[in-house]
Amino acid sequence: MGKNGYQKQAMGIYRFISEHLYFNRPDMVVKGERFNSAILLSLLTGLKKGKELIIGEPGLGKTTSAEYICSLIYQFPLGVIWGSEVSGHPEQTEEKIIGRPDLGKLNRGEEDVVWTNFAQIPVKIVDEINRLPETKQSMILDGVDRGNWEYLNEMIINEEYCLFATANYQDGGTNTIIAPLVDRFDVMVESRHPGANLSFLVGKDKRKDQILRHPKYERDLYHVLKSKTPYEKKASKIEEVCNAYGEYLDEATGIKSFRRQDRDQIRAEMESLELDLDASAFTRMLLAELSFCEWYGQKRVVENCEEGCHYTGYLCRQIKNCASNRLPSSIKQYAQGLAWLLEDSEIDIEHLSAVVPYALGHRIQWKDEILSQKERSKRDDPFPIFLAKEAVKAVSQRYREQSEHLKDALAAGSKIFMGGDLEPLEGDHPIYVEVKKDTDARRS
Amino acid sequence: MKSSSPPHKNSIVPPNKENWIAKNPFEEFKMFTACTPDLPMDQIVQSTEAVMDRIRLGYEKLLEQEAKELVWMVQYNTIIKAYEVAEKYVKELDYTAEDIEDFCFALENSQRIPYLIPGPAGVYISALCNYATEEEIVLKLSELKTEINLIGFRLPKGKRLMIEGDTGDFTGIGLEGGDLVIDGNAKNWTGAGMRGGKILIKKNIGLHTGEWMMGGEIYVGGRVRGLGNIVEGKVYEREKLLYPGKVRYPNSYY
Repeated sequence: MGKNGYQKQAMGIYRFISEHLYFNRPDMVVKGERFNSAILLSLLTGLKKGKELIIGEPGLGKTTSAEYICSLIYQFPLGVIWGSEVSGHPEQTEEKIIGRPDLGKLNRGEEDVVWTNFAQIPVKIVDEINRLPETKQSMILDGVDRGNWEYLNEMIINEEYCLFATANYQDGGTNTIIAPLVDRFDVMVESRHPGANLSFLVGKDKRKDQILRHPKYERDLYHVLKSKTPYEKKASKIEEVCNAYGEYLDEATGIKSFRRQDRDQIRAEMESLELDLDASAFTRMLLAELSFCEWYGQKRVVENCEEGCHYTGYLCRQIKNCASNRLPSSIKQYAQGLAWLLEDSEIDIEHLSAVVPYALGHRIQWKDEILSQKERSKRDDPFPIFLAKEAVKAVSQRYREQSEHLKDALAAGSKIFMGGDLEPLEGDHPIYVEVKKDTDARRS
Repeated sequence: MKSSSPPHKNSIVPPNKENWIAKNPFEEFKMFTACTPDLPMDQIVQSTEAVMDRIRLGYEKLLEQEAKELVWMVQYNTIIKAYEVAEKYVKELDYTAEDIEDFCFALENSQRIPYLIPGPAGVYISALCNYATEEEIVLKLSELKTEINLIGFRLPKGKRLMIEGDTGDFTGIGLEGGDLVIDGNAKNWTGAGMRGGKILIKKNIGLHTGEWMMGGEIYVGGRVRGLGNIVEGKVYEREKLLYPGKVRYPNSYY
């Protein structure tokens, strides 16, 4: 791993954006390296085909950070990305998001669809998603989940895509993003103010957008996108223009962007990274705390904890909802991405601890008493991410205290599962009950 | 002729049949074997427990031999005899001053030690102190609810025993030249029969202080409730020489 230099290429993109395009301060440290969470997670989203929700105050670079990342990872000139964005407003329609009937053909009695740029290109940016009505939010997230875009009786399939959605904090013009929709985002990150001094410099460099623009390739790409050729054929033509733009980027800026085959290779390398035993046991412990209820069998948003429950010191007592099955998948994807970027051969607890708060922050519904207890705590992060970081710290502490015993319990679980005649290990954590449930189910 | 080959079984075989077998959710831990690191703290706890077991065993033997039916009368002979028994066990033990303090607390708090009889317990603790390798021993006994009798029995020359907390009757009797410091009160018969050395009681002291004392000094920071029949030696009360001095009748209450 690391022989082909893709990690250096990716770090080159990170640094280029960080130093020239998106003014920021580092706000996270992983294995001694300092990163800005918004750029790092956006980079991983682009590389891993993920879905990212970027929150923040208006004008702090939520959309632009995503645009820069997409332009450099997918080799699309900025003008094309701008032309394919969906902006959130209450009157937004399916026709502007996915596709519309070809009116010329319709006049001739034929039915055909003119697909939007948004549906066609792999880079999908939705600006202010929480200003869209819930039905439209759902439509976009459904499409991105499956990679299928349907209109009338036609369909196009995206083989490669990622989604960036931005959201302002609640104000008069916003709708809420309902819990099932929020859960579809792999990560949530805040695009933060860079501080007075860097912010002061923002206005001085008016040409920074121009670096990623190229009118010729933009025209070429528009031409291909609006052509009537079948989508599959368009895809290869789009790729050709993108590769040419990538070469231009290399010459003009020295930044090597990724071709389609590079991205596929990177994904294959990421996929091959597995969690080490500690990382696996830690994730299980975290998931147990986020889904376990001794009284009612599992967490449910409609049920409250009973008094006298033994498991009062765990996250299950502090939250309302149950962790979805998308959570472990998001955690693993982003941890794989981070481990790959840092050229590590396995995913360890440090990779997990870095990404978990961002995969968890938007998914947990905390109980009101926890919110009121911690609302005024001194912090640097937005409240949901702060709470998630605190939760990860608490679980890490618990894991450190009983890691060996937990791994023993999981090893015993494996032996029982394979038919061994031994008893599951006991312990004071929901995970031990979960192991017992699984082994009991196997025995019966 | 008919072919003997068996009829074809279903030729539509699932492409990847092992995928149909229930997956072991703990697969990756299959090969995990817990390595239990030998932590220094574990070793310390283990060895401390082993020492405590041996100290406890000696005490139980003493009780068996000297406190039959849980009755132990404080008489000169019984004390000597009990001390000889205690000595016999203690001599063979390898322990530290901290183990003595742990034993004092175990006497009161542990279910593993059946009875705390203040007399034999004091004789046994005295033997432990007298045979300890340390020259200076500090026992923090202020948290103990029971005041232990006979602490400092036969404390030899060159040893210094400091007790934080109150002690019971017969503290420092038969002292043989050691320094005994009680940071608290002591009860009756303190320093009885002592031959040499010093006893310092920082607070008050009871009756019969220094009974048949043959030498040495007793310093009392508080008040002496009553003196015994002293043969030789000195007793001070708040830095004032009490004996020998103006007539102070034995066990006079003042």
